[in-house]
Amino acid sequence: MAEEKGLARARAVYRNRRHRAEELKAAGKKVIGYLCAYPPLEMMTALDIVPFRLLGDINEPISKADSCLPSVVCPFIRSTLDLGLKQRYEFLDGVVMAHSCDVAEKTAHIWNIYLKPDYFHFIDTPHTAGPSAVAQHRGLLAAFGKTLEELAGKKITTRSLKEAIKLHNRQRALVRQLYSFRKPDPPLISGVETLQVMVALMSLPVTEGNELLEEVINEVSRRQDSPPQKKARLLVWGSILDNTSLIEMMEGLDASLVMDDTCVGSRFFWPDVELTEDPLDGLARRYLVDVKCPRTFRQTNDGGKTKDYRADLEARFGYLKEYARDWNVQGVVLQSLRYCDIHGYEVPQVKDYLKGLGLPSIYIEHDYQQTAMAPLKTRIQAFLEILDRG
Amino acid sequence: MTEKKRPINRLKSMYPLRGLIDGMYRQGLSAAAEGKPVAWCMVNWWQGDPILKAMDVATIYPEDYGAVCAAFGAAQGYLERSAADGFPSHMCGYARNCLGYTGRMMDAGGIPEEAPMGGMPRPTLLLGSGSLCDARYKWFQSLGRYFDAPLWVLELPHPGVKEGLTPGAHETNISFIVAQLGEFVTFLENLLGKKMNRDRLDEITTDTVEMNNWWHKVNELRRARPGPMHSRDFWSSMPASLYMAADPGQTAGLYRRMYDEIKERVDNKVSAINTTEKYRLAFLELPPWHSLGFFDKLAERGWNFVIESWAYHPPRPIDLNGVTDPLERLARYSYHWLTGYYRQAYDAGEWWGYFAYPYLEYVRDYQCDGVVLHPLLSCRTATNHLTLVADRLMKKLKVPSLVIEGDIVDLKLFDPAGALTKAETFEETMDHYKKVRKEAGFSW
Repeated sequence: MAEEKGLARARAVYRNRRHRAEELKAAGKKVIGYLCAYPPLEMMTALDIVPFRLLGDINEPISKADSCLPSVVCPFIRSTLDLGLKQRYEFLDGVVMAHSCDVAEKTAHIWNIYLKPDYFHFIDTPHTAGPSAVAQHRGLLAAFGKTLEELAGKKITTRSLKEAIKLHNRQRALVRQLYSFRKPDPPLISGVETLQVMVALMSLPVTEGNELLEEVINEVSRRQDSPPQKKARLLVWGSILDNTSLIEMMEGLDASLVMDDTCVGSRFFWPDVELTEDPLDGLARRYLVDVKCPRTFRQTNDGGKTKDYRADLEARFGYLKEYARDWNVQGVVLQSLRYCDIHGYEVPQVKDYLKGLGLPSIYIEHDYQQTAMAPLKTRIQAFLEILDRG
Repeated sequence: MTEKKRPINRLKSMYPLRGLIDGMYRQGLSAAAEGKPVAWCMVNWWQGDPILKAMDVATIYPEDYGAVCAAFGAAQGYLERSAADGFPSHMCGYARNCLGYTGRMMDAGGIPEEAPMGGMPRPTLLLGSGSLCDARYKWFQSLGRYFDAPLWVLELPHPGVKEGLTPGAHETNISFIVAQLGEFVTFLENLLGKKMNRDRLDEITTDTVEMNNWWHKVNELRRARPGPMHSRDFWSSMPASLYMAADPGQTAGLYRRMYDEIKERVDNKVSAINTTEKYRLAFLELPPWHSLGFFDKLAERGWNFVIESWAYHPPRPIDLNGVTDPLERLARYSYHWLTGYYRQAYDAGEWWGYFAYPYLEYVRDYQCDGVVLHPLLSCRTATNHLTLVADRLMKKLKVPSLVIEGDIVDLKLFDPAGALTKAETFEETMDHYKKVRKEAGFSW
């Protein structure tokens, strides 16, 4: 795998995520699993700990998780827990989880009880994003840092943390550069390839990820075999997509997926961490306020006696307007995992916002199974026909 | 001709407590008619309600209204309306009921004529909560589609057991809640154009704690054999505390009357069911409000539900002497409700200190023979922990669990006949584990 470069290496890492992590572990590195987009990776990197994102497997039937988590909760989280129970994450030195959503919070306790990791830490990420919540979050990150220091046997210094922030910001800048290759028509990189790169980045130390990104950017910028032109340019919004199946299905039709708003994509990588004098200040703000997941409630009526719905939508979804404009999006696929409350409540509102922009959208719900793709294909096909009719 | 006794021996003192909820809806309607502020609130475990009361804001709880609509058979129409508005059907039944109701209200230009209990008037503000589940702020955020009432969301930290017991964590979390409550007061003062009366808040806070201390004492009496108070009486009485349906001083008096009535039952060994108590059970979590008659059938078989739903119980008493700031008292009280079992959970090696661990104490202390789990197909929060709880109860206390799936609002998801068949079979399991516990040296 090491000889492969660029997109081929990204594809190889995507297909065997744990391979490199296991090599690093064998070489004496510590590897910590993290769930969702809220644990700050920089703090692990600052201690030379490799952060490794916990993901599920859409092709693996959930069997063991049934013994400790009911079936009416997020199928992605159930799948991830299932993999844990099947010892697919046994190479990890521990895990860090956050209160990213209700089910993630509760699954953290279940993970701790049933998998008994050597290291476990839970960050109780606040739900709101005002000044007191940011201050609280900063304190929570400081507490997380202390437990990491005990694990690593060394201290996080201001310098090491700032260096780690620079490395991760570099990665974010490279990701944004890579995404800019999706702006031309046809795009220079497909949605499937992009997701493979994103998953690979979440499986590698940041320095290796940055090298991979530079290779991919170099390769894509000069490629002769870019994806073919398609009739429709789509943006996909919603809950986690960590497997290419859904995108592959869409791109197998007459559509290019040119932009995303999901947490294994732009939502995860877009905002930088501001390099504040005390780096924890920048981290606390970035991970609570700047990451645009609907799990965070943002007050838009401070001081007002009423709430302006349009202004609220603009504050919450305004970035989608920029995505649509800059990536020349013609339609939006709103997708959510079944039982994802965070995204479920959002659907009618994001539809209202997109309607206001004159952007057609379709909502699809799926249960994180390969077999669920066929009926969705028919619906996407019908949506493309609507777009085609203009 | 002798009158046939009902299967469940309802407490007389329950009725005035239940009546407070009717009064809450009436007060909300009156306030709206008089142009006074009305808040739609999420249950916030006594964080924000005392503040609203001190600001003379009438409060109404759409969560309770979901149960009301289910019980009156009005929910289905509202569920259908929310689906038509694009809300996925797997989401919280209470939320979908409220979203559908609100859609209907805005179409009708006022309270829809079919609305039970006189309906909920259009609110001046919304009070959401970050406690326990995401729906309780996402749902209220969604109401922005229908009207322009501003929304405030209260925070209650949910640390892990170990993290919550780390030196300094408790006080840090209290400071955060106090800061948040202070911001809420400022928001209200701006919205309502008047200052908070701190003395009034101080009084309400003291009465709130007093109210819940009596409610706690009531529930402590339920350890007796035979169980003197059935879960149905708990569910009928809990809203008075949970929704602070009236002046808390008045409610404290009613809970005290309930204490006296139960004490008399305990002294005279009077049971909550009119059949010999064969099995003592716990019910987790919310009941099928549309089918409560189901419990009568079980009572006829000697099933006495003696304890239930941790999230709807008051916290164990806490010493707040010396805490002069009422906002800090509220912060400490609510946080104690959530984390009050953490030390014991830690000592027991259990890492889910609320919602899961407390049931180990409940089932042991109330000597339950079995537990009925009611996974809600539209509620993650009331369901996430049930499999874990069943596992721990079996491993640690040799107490079996029965799973009956359903929903709090959507009656189509509950099968009472099938559930009853399962229950009959479960009796053999409970009998078996009685023997197992005896052999293992348990006291019941």
